[in-house]
Amino acid sequence: MKKYLRITPEGTKDFLFAEASAMDDICGKIEKVFVSRGFQKVITPGIEFYDVFSIPCSGISQESMFKMVDNKGRLLVARPDSTLPIARMVSSRLKNSALPVRLYYKQAVYRNNPTLTGRRNELMQMGVELLGVKGLRADLEILSTAVKAISSVANDFRIELGHAEVFDALSKELDIDDDYKEKIRVSIEGKNYSALNNLLDRLEPCKAVSAIRSLPSLFGGEEVFTKAFEICEDTNAVEALDYLHKIYDSLIPLGLGDKLIIDLGLVQRNDYYTGIVFTGYINGIGDAVLSGGRYDDLLSVFDAPMGAAGFAIDTDAVTIKQLADSDVSYSDKPDVLIFAQDGYEIEGINLVSQLIEGGTKAEFSTLPTLEATKEFASKRGIAEVKVVG
Amino acid sequence: MNPLRIALTKGRLEKTTIELFEKIGYNCDEVKNKGRRLILPVGNNDFEVVLAKAADVITYVEHGVCDLGVVGKDTILENGTSFYELLDLGFGKCKFALATKKGYDFYGGYNTKTIATKYPNVTRAFFDDKNMDVRIIKIEGSVELAPLVGLSDGIVDIVETGSTLKANGLEVIEWVTDISARLIANTASLKLRKNEIEALQNKLEAATK
Repeated sequence: MKKYLRITPEGTKDFLFAEASAMDDICGKIEKVFVSRGFQKVITPGIEFYDVFSIPCSGISQESMFKMVDNKGRLLVARPDSTLPIARMVSSRLKNSALPVRLYYKQAVYRNNPTLTGRRNELMQMGVELLGVKGLRADLEILSTAVKAISSVANDFRIELGHAEVFDALSKELDIDDDYKEKIRVSIEGKNYSALNNLLDRLEPCKAVSAIRSLPSLFGGEEVFTKAFEICEDTNAVEALDYLHKIYDSLIPLGLGDKLIIDLGLVQRNDYYTGIVFTGYINGIGDAVLSGGRYDDLLSVFDAPMGAAGFAIDTDAVTIKQLADSDVSYSDKPDVLIFAQDGYEIEGINLVSQLIEGGTKAEFSTLPTLEATKEFASKRGIAEVKVVG
Repeated sequence: MNPLRIALTKGRLEKTTIELFEKIGYNCDEVKNKGRRLILPVGNNDFEVVLAKAADVITYVEHGVCDLGVVGKDTILENGTSFYELLDLGFGKCKFALATKKGYDFYGGYNTKTIATKYPNVTRAFFDDKNMDVRIIKIEGSVELAPLVGLSDGIVDIVETGSTLKANGLEVIEWVTDISARLIANTASLKLRKNEIEALQNKLEAATK
C-alpha cells in the first residue's frame, strides 16, 4: 500500500522560517489593533458538531466540510468557520454576561475545496465579533476596527460596503420563490448581467425589477447613492440606503477617500447577514482578504437572540503578499556561532547568553567538532565562528 | 501600475476578440504576429493579452494573475466558480443540447439513462434540475460516437450547426442552454481598478451592440 509519508494533504502547507515569521508579524500587528480596542481573545475547538454549521443560513455547504465521527456515532467537522462556534459559545457560556461582548480570535478554518484548484484548505483567520448590540455606533465600531486592522498590514487597500436589506427588500416585492431569489442573488453576486437580465425578463416589469437589474452596476463612490435613490422606491430598501449613506458619511473623516467603495451588488452567500456587509481587498491579491457584516438573526438560531456583527481577515493571503513585497527581511541566521572545546561547554553557553544580551545574534554550536561547526557555518552562511576554551 | 492583463481563449474566440479590440481602436499587430510569445502588448501598452486554453482563462482570472478574461459560456458553466461575468460579447454563439439516436424515446421506460459528454458538470446540473438520476460517462473526443456504439443513451454536447449530429443519425431532443463568449473579471481587480475596467467594458459593450 502506498504510504503518504512525506507530503502534506492537498491544500495545506508547512510554514518555514521567513513564512512563519511573516505570519507572526502580520498577526501581531492585527492583534495589537484588536486588543487596543478592547476585544478579548477566545479559542474555540478545532472540531465541532456538524449541527453547528448545518443550520439553514450558515452558507457553508455540506461538501465543503471535513467530517469525522465520534465514538457515539455523532458527526463532527473540522471547524470550517469561526463565527458560528462563537455564536454557539456566546449563546451558552456567555449568556449571562454584560452585553455587548467584544471577542477576537486567531485560528485556522478548514474547507474541503475541489482538488487541483490551488485553493487552501487550511486558512488562518483573525477576526472580531461584537455581540449583544445593534445600531449605528456598533456598526461604526466594527467598520473602523476593520479599517484599522487592514491598514496596519497594507497601504493599498479598498473596503467595499453594502447592505443586505437593499436586495432583500426589493426581492420581497417580486412574486418569486426562494430558489428563484437565490438564482437572482447569485447573478448579482457574480455581476453576471446577462444571466440577471434573463431571470428578470421573465418577471412582470415593475419598479423593483428595474432596481434589481441595476444593483450589480451600483458600485463606486458617493454618486452611487444618487443613482440608487432614483431607482429604489421600496420603503425598506430606501431606509437601508439612508442608513448606508449615514455610515458612509460618518466614515469619511477617517481619511479613507477613494479607499471606501459602496457596492449595492454585495449580496454575499452567507445569508445570515441582515444589515451592513463589507469586504476588503489588497492590491496584489486576487480575492477578498477581509469580509464581514451584521448578522442580527443568527443568535436566535442558538436561542439567544441579540444583535451581532463581525469580520474575519485571511491572514495567510496577507502574509503571502508581505513576503512577495518583502521590503521587510525576516533573517533567521545568527551572526556568530560559538564552538566550545571539550570541558568548556557551559562557558560557551554563558558567552552565547552574554552576546545575546548585548544584542548580537549568537548561537551555540551543538556539533561535536570545530571542523563540523566550520563546515556548517559556511553552508548556512554564518559569518563568524568563535571558539571558547 | 502594471497594464491590465486580459486572458484570451486561444483559437476561434481569439480571432473575433482581436477584431473587436481593433474595432474599438486598439492596435493588435503584436498579437497577430505573436510567433511563440504568450504575453503580448496591445495598443500603446494600454493592456496586455495572455493566450490560454479556455479552462485556463478562468483559472488565471480566478487567481487574479489576469484581471480580465474572454471565455465561452460553455467553459464557465463547466469550470466556473468565483469571478464576475461582466458582459455577453455576443459572438461564438452555439448551444448545449441533449441529443439521441433519431427516434429514440429518451424519456420513456424506467431504466436509468446513460449520458456521454465532455461536460459532466453541465450534464449533472441539467438533470439535477429535472430531479432525474442519470449515469454520466466522460468522453474526451467525439461524443457522437457513444450512442452509436451503444455506450450511452444520449449525449450532452455543444451544437453549432447540427451537421455532425445529422451525419451520424442523431437528433437534438432538448436544448440545454445558449452559449456565447463572455467578458469575465477577477473580483479584486474590478474593485481595485474600477475605472480602467469599466472604461474598457463600456467600449466593448458599445462595439458589440
